[in-house]
Amino acid sequence: MQVYEAPIRDMRFVLDELWVDDGFGDIPALEEFDSDLTSAILEEAAKFSREVLLPLNRSGDEEGCVLENGVVRTPEGFKDAYKQFTESGWASLAADPEWGGQGLPERVNKLVEEMTCSTNLSFGLYPGLTHGGAIALEAHGSEDLKNLYLPKMTSGEWSGTMCLTESHCGTDLGMLRTKAEPQEDGSYKVSGSKIFISAGDHDLSDNIIHLVLARLPDAPAGVKGISLFLVPKYLPNDDGTPGPSNGVSCSALEHKMGLKASATCQMQFEESTGWLVGEPHQGLAAMFTMMNAERLSVGIQGVGIGEAAYQSAVWYAKDRLQGRSLSGAKYPDKPADPIIVHPDVRRMLMTMRCYNEGCRMLGGWVARALDAEKHSQDPEVKARATDFVALMTPIVKALFTDLGHESANLAVQVYGGHGYIRESGVEQYARDARIAMIYEGTNGIQALDLVGRKMGQNTGRLLRSFFHPVSDFIEASKGDGPMKPMIDGLEKALGALQLSTATIAQKGLKDPEEAGAAATEYLRLFGLVAMGYCFARATMISDMKLAFGTEEKEFYDAKIKTATFFFERILPQVSANFLAIKAGKKSMMALSEEQF
Amino acid sequence: MSGDAIKKVCVIGAGTMGAGIAAQVANAGVPVLLLDIVRDENDRNAVAAGAVAKMLKTEPAPFMSKAAAKLVEVGNIDDDLAKVAECDWVVEAIIERLDIKQDLYAKLEKVRKEGTAVSSNTSTIPLAQLTDGRSDAFKRDFLITHFFNPPRYMRLIELVAGPHSDAGTVEKVREFVDRKLGKTPVDAEDSPGFIANRIGTFWIQAAVNAAVDMGVSVEDADAIGGKPMGVPKTGIFGLIDLIGLDLMPYLQQSLTGTLPKDDPYQKIARSEPLIEKLISEGYTGRKGKGGFYRINREGGGKVKEAINLQTGDYAPAAKPVSIRGPAAKGDLGALIDIKGTIGEYAWAILGPTLSYSASIVPEATATIVGVDDAMKLGYNWKSGPFEMIDRIGAAKLREWLAADGLPVPEILEKVGDGSFYRIEGGRKQYFGLDGEYHDIERAQGVLLLEDIKLGSEPLLKNASAALWDVGDGVVALEFTGKMNALDNEVMKLIGQAIELVTEKYKALVVYNEGSHFSAGANLGLALFAVNIAAWSEIEKLVKGGQDAYKALKYAPFPVVSAPSGMALGGGCEILLNSDAVQAHAESYIGLVECGVGIIPGWGGCGELMLRWMENPKMPKGPMPAVAKAFEIISTATVSKSAADARQHGFLRPTDGVTMNRDRLLADAKARALELAEGYTPPEPPEFRLPGPSGLAALRLAVEGFQARGLATDYDGVVSSHLARVLTGGDTDPTETITEEQLLELERTEFMKLTREPRTQARIEHMLETGKPLRN
Repeated sequence: MQVYEAPIRDMRFVLDELWVDDGFGDIPALEEFDSDLTSAILEEAAKFSREVLLPLNRSGDEEGCVLENGVVRTPEGFKDAYKQFTESGWASLAADPEWGGQGLPERVNKLVEEMTCSTNLSFGLYPGLTHGGAIALEAHGSEDLKNLYLPKMTSGEWSGTMCLTESHCGTDLGMLRTKAEPQEDGSYKVSGSKIFISAGDHDLSDNIIHLVLARLPDAPAGVKGISLFLVPKYLPNDDGTPGPSNGVSCSALEHKMGLKASATCQMQFEESTGWLVGEPHQGLAAMFTMMNAERLSVGIQGVGIGEAAYQSAVWYAKDRLQGRSLSGAKYPDKPADPIIVHPDVRRMLMTMRCYNEGCRMLGGWVARALDAEKHSQDPEVKARATDFVALMTPIVKALFTDLGHESANLAVQVYGGHGYIRESGVEQYARDARIAMIYEGTNGIQALDLVGRKMGQNTGRLLRSFFHPVSDFIEASKGDGPMKPMIDGLEKALGALQLSTATIAQKGLKDPEEAGAAATEYLRLFGLVAMGYCFARATMISDMKLAFGTEEKEFYDAKIKTATFFFERILPQVSANFLAIKAGKKSMMALSEEQF
Repeated sequence: MSGDAIKKVCVIGAGTMGAGIAAQVANAGVPVLLLDIVRDENDRNAVAAGAVAKMLKTEPAPFMSKAAAKLVEVGNIDDDLAKVAECDWVVEAIIERLDIKQDLYAKLEKVRKEGTAVSSNTSTIPLAQLTDGRSDAFKRDFLITHFFNPPRYMRLIELVAGPHSDAGTVEKVREFVDRKLGKTPVDAEDSPGFIANRIGTFWIQAAVNAAVDMGVSVEDADAIGGKPMGVPKTGIFGLIDLIGLDLMPYLQQSLTGTLPKDDPYQKIARSEPLIEKLISEGYTGRKGKGGFYRINREGGGKVKEAINLQTGDYAPAAKPVSIRGPAAKGDLGALIDIKGTIGEYAWAILGPTLSYSASIVPEATATIVGVDDAMKLGYNWKSGPFEMIDRIGAAKLREWLAADGLPVPEILEKVGDGSFYRIEGGRKQYFGLDGEYHDIERAQGVLLLEDIKLGSEPLLKNASAALWDVGDGVVALEFTGKMNALDNEVMKLIGQAIELVTEKYKALVVYNEGSHFSAGANLGLALFAVNIAAWSEIEKLVKGGQDAYKALKYAPFPVVSAPSGMALGGGCEILLNSDAVQAHAESYIGLVECGVGIIPGWGGCGELMLRWMENPKMPKGPMPAVAKAFEIISTATVSKSAADARQHGFLRPTDGVTMNRDRLLADAKARALELAEGYTPPEPPEFRLPGPSGLAALRLAVEGFQARGLATDYDGVVSSHLARVLTGGDTDPTETITEEQLLELERTEFMKLTREPRTQARIEHMLETGKPLRN
């Protein structure tokens, strides 16, 4: 059964306790979002997710989207839910107040996003893409385009998409063929086919604003010849209402493994009128503004699904009576003990719990950097925050989605045979979570981004934004107190990360394939160390709370126990990662292509 | 012979070349008389004196030291020509007019003593015409010595002997310019333009013509014709700006006037209306208002602009075409093969130029080696024309030349499918006109690692250093990393070298043939380690370097370091820890760590203080040497020559200086063998340092600099750490501290600085821009 109660206490821990001294200093612009206000927002979001989105999750999966007479219809209830979503202001939550948004800090917004993803990932994509499109438009669009489109995209009246992929090019966008012909009035006629377009067509909003990558007639070959265009489904009238059709149509819906209530479309643009966003041939850079924001959000999808899977698994492990505890019956009065008494079931539940809490903490740190990047008055802090976000983006995206999917798989396992049955609801998590490892740049690409681009940038300056705080924390926390085993463990893990970093940087400089061969393990190693740092901080704070006395003894006690499990049972995986990295590419590349 | 036969020189003509030649003679420690005409009756030596005064303000400096300037005696031709009798060599560098030169020679003949060599620095007038009408005795002692500008820095001298020139006189001058002036003499025939300028002028003309005809922008032309061809990155148009646009028509006329009518240069020589217009408007290049490039300072900015060859208008310099792959790494065939402008323009330069170069052997010089040496040393090409042909392949070049209807010179036919150079029996050989290969002969006494490498394997090597047996029981330690950067691999090899030399050899020389001895530790590696907070690794690197250098210092055999070019930071510290230094005259030595927010960490602090403590001219007490070292290190002072390095204490009074780069290893080796006789390692010093009161004094001085805006806030922080090391930490003048203790202090303060964000910013800025960040 799909069970979900927003983990508000844990979210508040991340928001109000864990990162109080995050190194990014005070940000006056965000002072109005005090604890009372953010609590209220989280409570309301929890309610909306539970009451409106969760009930549509299973039915939406069963029903899916339908293409009828050239129009895409979303599953029953989605239209109404979307209406409530926009009318209650959830769509505009994190948007810029200049365009009618509420300017919610990312540190809170990412938590709200997590709730949406936990309860209905398919639904979340519609407003998610709109938000991403608005960011790109805000950063690169002309004033006219912004004035016309941003207010409506912010409110959610109009939704957005990003149209990159074509049938023959996904990762390698340099090959794309969609073209844009300049017109005398300064607009362009955009023609071509796109595939895999999330929210490409649907019945939720009045208009759909596509951000389309296409080539100008004089474009150089490759990625340097791609430009970004805004192409609305309906050309707006002078009064701002949607006007005539613009030659944009959905020719087919993709048949997908999961995420069925999200309309993934094949789109046709036939001499559709569009406007250039940003400079000619600079489309990829403009699109990446949106990509980076999207990648962080996709990471949050991993945590969202992981949390829902975990809660559903805990519910089942307590409910399902089967066999007896290995140490003797725990519930002699019942026909059998609940399966939660078994170490192996505990292993799965603890693992999921660690993943969720660890990712939430790490995501909370990155979200604070996003806020500092945007609002800090101190240029040094701003620069450091920018470095940190750039460094952590591939890690958040790939690590969170890998772990989210692993959690969903573990939930299926906890359910046993029932997990494989549709009605249990948990197999949907495994199917839905799978795509997050692929879209917005596969996790393999994320790992390459980390080792190939982020690691060496400015002789490793980006790394400083992570390694220095962690190393300082270890140095400051050393001693013989109760934290000793944890700090020692973190120091060792950091050592493995430092050595791996140096090895890859050195080897990769001479042979990029060496960096490529180490990338995925390195990203995991990095992510585990980062989560270890979060858990060590969490333990330190919890220790302190317990020492000074607290009414929430259970919460902090559980936090420490979870952290201890992480350090004893999960963090040691860094040794395996380290050995794999050290082994290099040799055995990976040894077979000839014919031997495959 | 050692060049000692010439004890005094007279240079006549105090223009840029004459004055520069005089300065270089003085740099060699040889007195020189500089004469020019009388232009001002009240100040009869004004021309020569003015030239010397101007040189003292010129950058790059013609003089290596102020002491050298004092060796120049100025005078005028009317009053002082008789003094020529005191000189063993007279260099004429006056205006390029035959009648005036002849007139001067007539006067000279009367005053010079028999056997005094007379040479002309002419670049255009045939020797036969110059000596027309002179006595046989004069003709015997006459030759052409053609220097390149600036004479201190350009290593080429073209030597042209006439049919009557006395071999002894020519040898005497050759030895002097080689050993004393540090130049590489290349024998040229008495033909127009000799070697370098003949090819160089042709090359520039071909490149300019092609750019204009093909519509290639100057930015693209220089990007294609510069670095990818191994030509200085100024390229062709940048080079013309440097030497002056007004010189172009002059060079052109002199060559078209003297070369035979069927010479290929006659066909391509043409005057360019744009260049004429630019010259007439004062756009003569960098010395004028600009040339093909100019810096536009309108509106307070500083915009580099380039001219449009078609319209003559300036526009901000565009980003040139980028050349990638093998073509960017010296594969000339691949460069020519690139479709479109890049390949076509590259060929438009290389095809005619290489063909022409091959055609002037033996007319301009006897062998292909002379051609290649001339272009490498006179025009700073990385490879000479025949080396370039080898890289393309003679057969392929012939095919391409024939296809374009360009001449295929005899020697290019003769070489067939072979190459112009080959390695045979551990020797480098060149292809002669006789169709045979001949060993390349070095001048007597020249010892080069380059040659040793052809015939032997290293004794030891790793990624960053190698050890070579250089004969007679001496081993050379060579840095081999990128830019000769120093890292833990170098330190490891030093450890192994000490064992090996102790066991089997007499002495160690630290030497390499890179353009710079070493710019110090691998900063990129260090910053990366800082960025990943690998503090213990960094400390290990610092300690490892200290240990290695101290092990060298106390090794049971002598260590002689032989720098050339930059020896900075760790590259300087290894000199300071050596028993002796044999430095090339062009050595730029300094402890520059403060510029990147750190301090010397491999023993440089203590060693530089020791130099000043040992200096008998220093006042007594613990403070003077400390203050001196502080001043030198905190301002990141770099010597402008070996002579200057002595002034700063980087070199001892007993350290040697070698003028000729090619003789450095031989001199260092000789010095090492000399020291090896009865060698005993030095005793470890003890330091008596001022402690906290000295620290306070130094900080006060820095605050003074800061108040005057001469030091930044962070300079103050960095120099405080430096001051703490130099003053001995918590010691006081009644105590002594050991070398070990001082090294530990150095290490501690070094490590503190690496953690400072502003130090990290300085290092990053240096790595990215090559310039210090004044934060």
